[in-house]
Amino acid sequence: MTAAPPLEATDQHALADEIFRLMVAQGSLFAFDAPIRQSLANLTTFMAQTHQRDEAAMAAALDAALRDDARFIREQLDDQVIFVTSRQGAYVPRNDADTHSFKQRLHEPDYPLPVDDISVVVSTSRPAITTVEPVFISDYWQIQANEVFAAEDQEAEGHSIMEVAPVALESDVPIEVEVVPELVAEHELLVEPELPAALPEPVVAAEPVQISEPEFVAAPEPEVAPVVAELPTPPVVEPVAVAPPPAPEPEVAPPAPRPLYERAAVFTLPDGMSIDLRRPIDEIIAEHGSLLRQALNEKIEQDPLRRIVSFGSRFFPDANVINLGKNDLRKIRDYITERGEPLLDSELIADVFYHNARQSDYEGWLFSINYRLYREKDFEFVGVEGVNLWSAKGLPAIGGKRIKAAEMGQLTSYLVEGFDDSAEHEDLERIAVEGSMTLTLPFFSWEYGVLPLNASLQALLPKPALVDQRSSVLRFDSPQHYTTTLVEVRYPTGNRGGWLQGLEEFFHEHLVPGAVITLTRGNEPHLFSISYEEAEEREERILTLDEKKNKLGFTNLTYYSTVNPDVVPIQARFGRLNRLKSFPMGERRKAEMLLEHVAEVMGEQIGTREAPRYALSLDDIFTAFNVLRPGTCALMQHLIAQNEQFIADDANPGAFFFTPAINTADDDEDEEDDMQKSDLPLDPQPTRRRYGVRYADDDE
Amino acid sequence: MDAKMITFGETATDKLLQWLRSSGEPKDIDELLRQYLVILSKLVMEDSE
Repeated sequence: MTAAPPLEATDQHALADEIFRLMVAQGSLFAFDAPIRQSLANLTTFMAQTHQRDEAAMAAALDAALRDDARFIREQLDDQVIFVTSRQGAYVPRNDADTHSFKQRLHEPDYPLPVDDISVVVSTSRPAITTVEPVFISDYWQIQANEVFAAEDQEAEGHSIMEVAPVALESDVPIEVEVVPELVAEHELLVEPELPAALPEPVVAAEPVQISEPEFVAAPEPEVAPVVAELPTPPVVEPVAVAPPPAPEPEVAPPAPRPLYERAAVFTLPDGMSIDLRRPIDEIIAEHGSLLRQALNEKIEQDPLRRIVSFGSRFFPDANVINLGKNDLRKIRDYITERGEPLLDSELIADVFYHNARQSDYEGWLFSINYRLYREKDFEFVGVEGVNLWSAKGLPAIGGKRIKAAEMGQLTSYLVEGFDDSAEHEDLERIAVEGSMTLTLPFFSWEYGVLPLNASLQALLPKPALVDQRSSVLRFDSPQHYTTTLVEVRYPTGNRGGWLQGLEEFFHEHLVPGAVITLTRGNEPHLFSISYEEAEEREERILTLDEKKNKLGFTNLTYYSTVNPDVVPIQARFGRLNRLKSFPMGERRKAEMLLEHVAEVMGEQIGTREAPRYALSLDDIFTAFNVLRPGTCALMQHLIAQNEQFIADDANPGAFFFTPAINTADDDEDEEDDMQKSDLPLDPQPTRRRYGVRYADDDE
Repeated sequence: MDAKMITFGETATDKLLQWLRSSGEPKDIDELLRQYLVILSKLVMEDSE
């Protein structure tokens, strides 16, 4: 081996530079001011091999070069020489003294403000005790957390004995620290020979002691591994706060459970109803459900912040409601007008906003669009429970405008006045269960395509979905003709009755007055079918209304449906019906006047010209009355009983005598006309809705 | 919490709102009432334990 030339003194600086670069490279990941330590022995070994020099000479050269260099600090540790440097040059120990803290500056400012009143700085009142409001955490996470804690507890119990073992080490056990003869840089925080002092205090455990937090002053890291110990290596324990000395303690028994429900678990509703929250929720709901629902609903509506909003029976946070601007509403309205009929909310979302049911916020969209349209005056909800249909201003009225809604409401007011004899209670239950009913078409219903919303029809049709809902739109399919008809249901309001309208075309095309029809529920809440029993072709002269001449007359009509012969207004039986005066619809609400007119027209004259007296049956009155306006037998009987001009025929049940009052002068008619004119403006107007005010329609 | 302090429809409605928000979809009155009773019941029971 060829000996290398001796180092010159001038090379010492270069040698120091090389060592510095070497150590900085070694500690490249250290902080700038972190110490980088290396022993002279390691450096000598490495440099001697690198420069092919004798180790003794190299050690002397290194010691001389580094000792005089300002970037290195020479430390003597036992027999070992260690040089310390840092990435920024000479290592300067960090000074952690807190000389400029915010706390100090706050309480001891350099330029304190004058304090006139000590109460400004020091409060003499005791601060209110803050209460920590519990934060709601989803049940899912609570369950997860409990499972994790339970698993940890089990693990802790399982490891408790293992953790005792290192604690049982004796303190005087020598631990040999072997420095690995490699180029190793040690961080200051690494466990150095001080490690034995940082070990847990030796405790001889006579019996297994559960130690959850072993005492550790320093934070040993996994680098403990190089420390070779003859005894089992203590397991790495997470650094924790210093725990009290783990003296042998008897196992702590769990505290005795406090008796549950120490406090009152019964709360009282405003109406005095007491509810015990210890009972199962299902029981509480079963017993007080309706009351609680109503109370909760009212409270939510009374919330001044309106944090929870509702549409129908659905509730949603106001913050989650999707905002629809004026442009969105205009698009919806245009689309409904374009389609020409009320549309479902799902159709609007799909066709206007291109949102489909697979998207996660679809339910929120459904609610939002319904909630928003409900508050707009240009839209009206015409759906039923489970089917949200929306109509818009500008749509053609269903059923035409032959009868105004206000007039029809007055004509059907007898239904809400207690003269509805359409069915008994048992029949109503049967209709509700079977979902089907059969009825006979009176002339008025056939002519105008309207059906009074009596109890039977109410049992068949869905209830309004909203409290202040005025109407709904149903779809009636005709399986015999493969046609579909939109029917508007007008619900009773106040002293006005309800009715269905929109069937005029179907009635005139396929049926005659007195026909028997069947209405049946469909698969959806708003779908129904209308059918009739087909019969052989028949042709009769049946009463019709010439609307141009405003006159009733008989016309040959051919029909193929089953009819109720007692009600069909054929000329052969009810030949006098064409003498009935087709009163203006506004006058037909005067049932007494119509009854007298019907009696005079339909009655058999049994008196004289000067003292007329008519005999007629209740069936005739009923049929003729229903030509001019809807009515029931109960209404007829009530009107007859109230009118002194009608006298029952004792010999012939169901027959009456009518003696009209003598019409003295035409002045009476004038007075009556005047009275009618003065009456009309005084008619009460239908109540308008708070939200979704019905657009200006044909009501007035 | 002492149940005598409960005002039905006002106490713990923020928790009800939080639940409604987290669910992400509208709920009917039956579900709302059931959850509200659960919340009230927990309030009373947890505090008494």
